[in-house]
Amino acid sequence: MSFEPKIIAFCCNWCSYAAADLAGTSRMQYPSNVRIVRVMCSGMVHPELVLRAFNQGADGVMVLG
Amino acid sequence: MMKSKTIGSVLVVGGGITGMQSALDLANAGYYVYLVERSGAIGGAMAQLDKTFPTNDCSM
Amino acid sequence: MNVTGEVGNFTITVKEHPRYVDMSKCIACGECAVKCPKKVNDSYNAGTGKRKAIYVKYPQAVPLKYQIDADNCIWLKKPGRCGACVKACPADAINFDAVEHIHEIEVGSVILSPGTSFFDPSDSGVYGYGEYPNVVTAMQLERYLSASGPTEGHLVRPSDGKPVRKMAFLQCVGSRDRNLCGNEYCSSVCCMYAVKEAVIAKDHVPGLEASVFYMDMRTHGKGFDEYYQRAKNESGVRFVRCRVNGVEPEGDNGDLRLHYVNEKGQQIEDYFDLVVLSVGLETPKPAMELAERVGIRLTSHNFAAVSDFAPVSTSRDGVFTCGTFSGPKDIPQSVVEGSAAAAVAAKVLSPVRHELARKKTFPAERDIMAEELRIGVFVCHCGSNIAGYVDVEAVADYSATLPGVVHVERNLFTCSQDTQDLMVRIIQENKLNRVVVAACTPRTHEQLFHETIRAAGLNEYLFEMANIRNQNSWVHTGDKAAATQKANDLTRMAVAKISWQGPLENVVVPITRRALVIGGGISGMAVALNLASQGFPVDLIERSKVLGGNGLHLHNTWSGENVPLRVAKMVDQIIWHDLVTVHMESEVIEAEGYVGNFRSIIKSRNGSELTIDHGVTVVTTGAKRFLPDEYGYQKYREVVSALEFDKLCEINDKHVRKSKSFVFIQCVGSRDSDHNYCSKVCCTHSVQSAIALKEEDSSRSVYILYRDMRTYGQRELLYRKARELGVVFVNYEIHGKPKVDKDEDGFIVEVWDHVLHRPLLIHADMIILAAAIIPSSGVKKLAQLYKVSLDGQGFFQEAHAKLRPVDFATDGLFVAGMAHYPKPVEESIAQALAASARAATLLSRDKMTLDGIKAEVDPEFCDGCALCVDVCPYHAITLLEKTDDKGDVHKLISINKAHCKGCGLCQGTCPKRGVSVAGFSLKQLESQVEAALAV
Repeated sequence: MSFEPKIIAFCCNWCSYAAADLAGTSRMQYPSNVRIVRVMCSGMVHPELVLRAFNQGADGVMVLG
Repeated sequence: MMKSKTIGSVLVVGGGITGMQSALDLANAGYYVYLVERSGAIGGAMAQLDKTFPTNDCSM
Repeated sequence: MNVTGEVGNFTITVKEHPRYVDMSKCIACGECAVKCPKKVNDSYNAGTGKRKAIYVKYPQAVPLKYQIDADNCIWLKKPGRCGACVKACPADAINFDAVEHIHEIEVGSVILSPGTSFFDPSDSGVYGYGEYPNVVTAMQLERYLSASGPTEGHLVRPSDGKPVRKMAFLQCVGSRDRNLCGNEYCSSVCCMYAVKEAVIAKDHVPGLEASVFYMDMRTHGKGFDEYYQRAKNESGVRFVRCRVNGVEPEGDNGDLRLHYVNEKGQQIEDYFDLVVLSVGLETPKPAMELAERVGIRLTSHNFAAVSDFAPVSTSRDGVFTCGTFSGPKDIPQSVVEGSAAAAVAAKVLSPVRHELARKKTFPAERDIMAEELRIGVFVCHCGSNIAGYVDVEAVADYSATLPGVVHVERNLFTCSQDTQDLMVRIIQENKLNRVVVAACTPRTHEQLFHETIRAAGLNEYLFEMANIRNQNSWVHTGDKAAATQKANDLTRMAVAKISWQGPLENVVVPITRRALVIGGGISGMAVALNLASQGFPVDLIERSKVLGGNGLHLHNTWSGENVPLRVAKMVDQIIWHDLVTVHMESEVIEAEGYVGNFRSIIKSRNGSELTIDHGVTVVTTGAKRFLPDEYGYQKYREVVSALEFDKLCEINDKHVRKSKSFVFIQCVGSRDSDHNYCSKVCCTHSVQSAIALKEEDSSRSVYILYRDMRTYGQRELLYRKARELGVVFVNYEIHGKPKVDKDEDGFIVEVWDHVLHRPLLIHADMIILAAAIIPSSGVKKLAQLYKVSLDGQGFFQEAHAKLRPVDFATDGLFVAGMAHYPKPVEESIAQALAASARAATLLSRDKMTLDGIKAEVDPEFCDGCALCVDVCPYHAITLLEKTDDKGDVHKLISINKAHCKGCGLCQGTCPKRGVSVAGFSLKQLESQVEAALAV
């Protein structure tokens, strides 16, 4: 089986989360490997969270804001 | 002639996007609003549109 | 409907037609419509599909209750003949004996917003509409493109269901046309909707060819020209300036043949699958009858008659109009007028504000702190939006296995009103203490569900959404297994997060019931006057020595109303109003605070400073004139700008008197690389000046060189009048700008003539330049002071282009007039009134509730290191030092929840877990990450 990465994306409610919504409204297609965690600002994402995500098996972490 | 008492309510005729905006702003400013719509549901012409410029938001 | 009485005290009789379905019983299950044998054309789908005689208007309708169409119902026509719905209805909601009700309502003001209807081309059979099935109207196309439309968004030909490969839009059907329908006005919206529909159609069908046949592209609104250019250059929509002569069928395969003369003067024949008629707007018959019954005046084109200085007031005192009833207009301007009508209606009623308003009440919150987790999950089908791409049954089954979940439901539309009632019942019956909705996005629907669970006696924050539509079903349409897996994961993450959520309290902040209005032009004065007349004190600050702004340079509005007189009257009212304080020659130098509690420092020219506390801020800083750098401007006295020309005419200047030939050049500085937008007012201005010149002396030669003549709405009549008076209109393109040469007799203007197909040399004595309108100076600084944004052109950016046209994204700040975008007087005033109405929704209260998503300190872990104090962008955190009984000093931060926006920079910075944002705590985010990676 081919490699399917697990990616965690922290998305700011006001920009990137809204953009992800808009991608949906516009029916843009993308791989289903991303799991979005909604935050009120990318600034609230503690470094520890990122490390934890890798520790628990994430292959990539995106902080978008 | 005695001036009749002022009544703190408003009638809005038409439940499209415009009438709804009027009704919401008045209700939020402390007035009682009666919204009258001819058809069976509010929404008007905008509810018929698929998407709107520029964001391609769904019109709902 | 009947209206008696007078302003402040009307009595209205309203007739309520029977629905034949008991709204309190109908559960909108749709069984009745399945069984109903009578199919009728669906007007919601513009006749592209069928519905039954018992129906809901559309799936997301409010109220979501069925109704019977009495004109088509078999039983209602012949009692006893059918009754299928009665048998089908599980709720016993059908009532054929329902009768109409007459209500008598007492109100202080009346607002009429009956809306618009579209020109119906079937009567005149224009372009074969009604005869050839592949000729459709733009509204029909809108429904074909819609996922909830008859073809679920697949663009196919009505005749044979074949995919559309090549389509044509024909503009101005039922607009700008005296002969066909008598609708001489421009409908203002069709150019833009055609561009939008062409772009979306091309998105739907890769390789689709779309052509728009037009006379003038009227994309004069904010951001419209950029969109038009993107459609042309990026999406590849073809635009052809011509009137199509005819549409004929090509054989019997459904193809259509179009004849037209292209821009090069060649006769062209072209073939299309689908022809879309961009039909215009007109006042619906019932609206005309309404006008007659209410007793308000209509214009000759059946629009409500209004003044440019009172754009939402009808001819009857206390009766107001908004939206397309007073002339064709787009969504943002309609929304603006909706708010504007609220502002003028409230002006009359402000003494009795709050007298009749009722407060929404919610049951007392249940204390859940001692309870075990009892989570309910609601999985939404969203019609087929989710269920079509995700196995929702599997998601529901999976959700039931998650820890803490005790109840799972699936709903066709979880957001519909009947589902809200159902949710309340389920929450109460099952004693749920947390709720997860797996549906669309919390950005649009979280608020609704918060209210629902409050109604069930839960704290509103015991709620979480799993976004399985926008971020799942819609973006993985081709892989149902993956989308279902992801929906499971997202639901599991939401359940994990909500498990750590406790009840939160909303923050209540006081409101300073005073407004600051920045800029004393027409818009600023209109805001100040309206708010003051509603009883709110206003500080109006103006940078210059005079009030009136750009209004001081104007003569007439487009409809011919005298501007100087009205501006003088406004200035007078401002000066004498007890509640308006005017600060001349003053500017804001510092600003802080948030909605309800702003503090601004203004500095006057003489150096004195003043601190003003205010609850709302309205930005009406206007715009300024662009100084042209071409066509010999500032080099020759006879080359002037439009406003300078007005002044010269006013003083009967000798150059104007002597001149026999006048050339107006449009779009000077507008719609080019520096200012890539339309200044909106210049076409009408030049046309008005040209008419005046011709009316004064018909032997004068008057030319207008234009790119697209944008005399939108009822202004089109001026354009017609100018042509009838003999004004010559010559079209030019951006790559073929006119050239101006001076000779001994005056000027020679050279321009390419698209009709004659050769260069045209025009002798001119005077050249009038329609110079662009550009953003005011100092807007960048102001934007920084109040932390609001500017758009790419330097105008202020509203919160939402369509639905929040006068709000800034930051609460408590509003924008009106040309600070937002170039616009004529009546649109500025409508926006000013709209901003007033929006401001009044805040100023009418002495306190407001802010959400509970705020930072909280954990005193156990916070050691007062104060790293968070500096990073907080809202200055919401202070460091406290406390000395205990033993004399030891303890440091601890404290959060001002009114300032806190819940951004969590503190949480991201804190090395000790001493501060976290309620609802987004580190624990919760960790649980989500863990849940995401658990499988």
